[in-house]
Amino acid sequence: MKARIVSLADVLKIVDLLRSRGYEVLAPFCGRGRDTCFDTVTDANRPQVQVHLPNPYYPPKRFVFPHIERLMAVRGGANGEMKIEPAYEQPRRAIFGIRSCDVAGLWHLDRFYLGRDFRDVYYEKRRNNLFLVNVVCTDPARDIGEDCFCLCADTGPAARDHFDLQLMDLGEGEFMAVAGTPAGEELFSEPIFRKATGAHLERRRAILAAVRKHFRTPPSWFSATVRYVSQGTILDKTWEEIGNRCLECGGCTYVCPACTCFTVSDRQVGPQEVERVRIWDSCGLGGFTRMAGGFNPRRAVHDRRNRRFFRKLAHYFIQRELAMACVGCGRCAAVCHGDIGMPSVVEMIRRAAPQEASK
Amino acid sequence: MNTPGTENVYLPKLAVLERVVEDIPDVKTFYWRFEDPAAQALFKRFRPGQFAQISVFGAGEFPASLPPSPTEQETFFTIRQVGSCTSALHHLKVRDKFGVRGPYGNGFPMEDYHGMNLVFVAGGIGLIPLRSCIVYALEHRSHYGRIQVFYGAKTPGELMYRPDLRQWEKSGGMECHLTVDRAANGWNGSVGVVGSLFKKKGVEVPVDNTIAFVCGPPVMFRFVIKDLLALGFQERHIVSTLERYMKCGVGKCGHCCIGVAYICVDGPVFTYEQIKKLGEDI
Repeated sequence: MKARIVSLADVLKIVDLLRSRGYEVLAPFCGRGRDTCFDTVTDANRPQVQVHLPNPYYPPKRFVFPHIERLMAVRGGANGEMKIEPAYEQPRRAIFGIRSCDVAGLWHLDRFYLGRDFRDVYYEKRRNNLFLVNVVCTDPARDIGEDCFCLCADTGPAARDHFDLQLMDLGEGEFMAVAGTPAGEELFSEPIFRKATGAHLERRRAILAAVRKHFRTPPSWFSATVRYVSQGTILDKTWEEIGNRCLECGGCTYVCPACTCFTVSDRQVGPQEVERVRIWDSCGLGGFTRMAGGFNPRRAVHDRRNRRFFRKLAHYFIQRELAMACVGCGRCAAVCHGDIGMPSVVEMIRRAAPQEASK
Repeated sequence: MNTPGTENVYLPKLAVLERVVEDIPDVKTFYWRFEDPAAQALFKRFRPGQFAQISVFGAGEFPASLPPSPTEQETFFTIRQVGSCTSALHHLKVRDKFGVRGPYGNGFPMEDYHGMNLVFVAGGIGLIPLRSCIVYALEHRSHYGRIQVFYGAKTPGELMYRPDLRQWEKSGGMECHLTVDRAANGWNGSVGVVGSLFKKKGVEVPVDNTIAFVCGPPVMFRFVIKDLLALGFQERHIVSTLERYMKCGVGKCGHCCIGVAYICVDGPVFTYEQIKKLGEDI
């Protein structure tokens, strides 16, 4: 582990360093109230970049998997000619202040889109040039939300891997910087970084041990739930209770850093030109599995809820993708109007388990 | 099969519509060819039971099974007009262009069935994906034992591939049993559900060392499975091809995932034994 120390006064200079290296830097900003968002850093908004703040609800996955993405344009010619042109974007981007849960989310997307038989080139092109500056959540008041449960999902508060640079507030005006890749280590040649001592490492350990106590969501029963979900022992009745509370807004999937589904749509953009785009989709929506002619194999709301949690937690997919498709960011819990985010569902399944066993 | 690499799997290749044949009301067969001969040659390596994604630009893209056998010269799709994309395809004229990508999916492991009897059970347009296997099996006749086709439709006018069926039967390589739900003028064949053909006089379904291919609407599927199990078929000797709404065909969009399987990459061909273990009703 290559560790350096950077002072509080200099920590945002990392943003400047990345900008001077040609990166479009995306960093978190405060809006009104709890509202926070990632946005492109400019000379004008540079002083407003935040290090400690609640994690934005709109996840940074959109920088590699945009909400709406052009796939190709198809142009028609005069004499029946036709041409298909792929639309690629490969921006040189850096995300400053990405939280550990979202780092794990991106790693999940990497395994999903770039693994298995087929590679997704659109994802790959955006991902290749992405530089990640992870910030460890250490401030109980500002960083850690009521719904955070990265401890249970084993993704945080400090990511162990898959970042280029990791920053952690050690207090007393000092941050520890850890390089995760050669690209991250390259930054250490800059004069703002100085060597870390054994005392710094000791402080890091002490802070991480203390910060664990500030998570409000109690350790959830993930392992038991994974077992129940995988074995299919959860009663329909339990899923119906969960389904009854679903408003079918799709919000949980849109804010989820590990959700991957999309739909594809063609739109006319000129008299002889059609554009094909892909758009985030949600397995919670009624039309997700509806086929031409109207037949819908997953018509009931609770079947679709069942689907979402099965896909995220079933042992089969954990084996296939090396981790469950939940990173513990707590966004689904925060945005769900029916209170059936991941922690609540895990709890509902746990409570129903004794009834099922006695059946 | 596409190999992992840097190519763009979402990019269709342009195909030209060569001729259109109306099979039954609302169902047409579209004969087509890739503009690029190299793409045509590559595509022709498909296996029976695989599928392709068809793009009608402006309307969208949809999955369709491949009814031709790889042993046949021509490439074609047989499509029922049912939604917006299929309607757009039906409105194309000869020499119009559209997009095709594939082939995708696992297909039927026809080599594994060497030395076995083949029983094809189809309902309605369920014969379309099975056509590929039937033609393939007849083309490699010496590799297989008895071959039987049991096929049912609502009315005689809705029986698919009538000229093919007649020709296959005439070839002497197989038995063909047809039935309809409702007879119409001039129909002197069987009337009843397709499963009733198994008990018809003079019909003897081989059970040992036999693979049963089943494809049709969900209701027909359930009843035929019951009939086949009652005849003594093992669950792993009943194969089918599943259909789902798909956007990508390559295991990314998530629409076709049933239980633990992505129909597009893990299927669409599954044995009944596998279907039961998917963890979700089909």
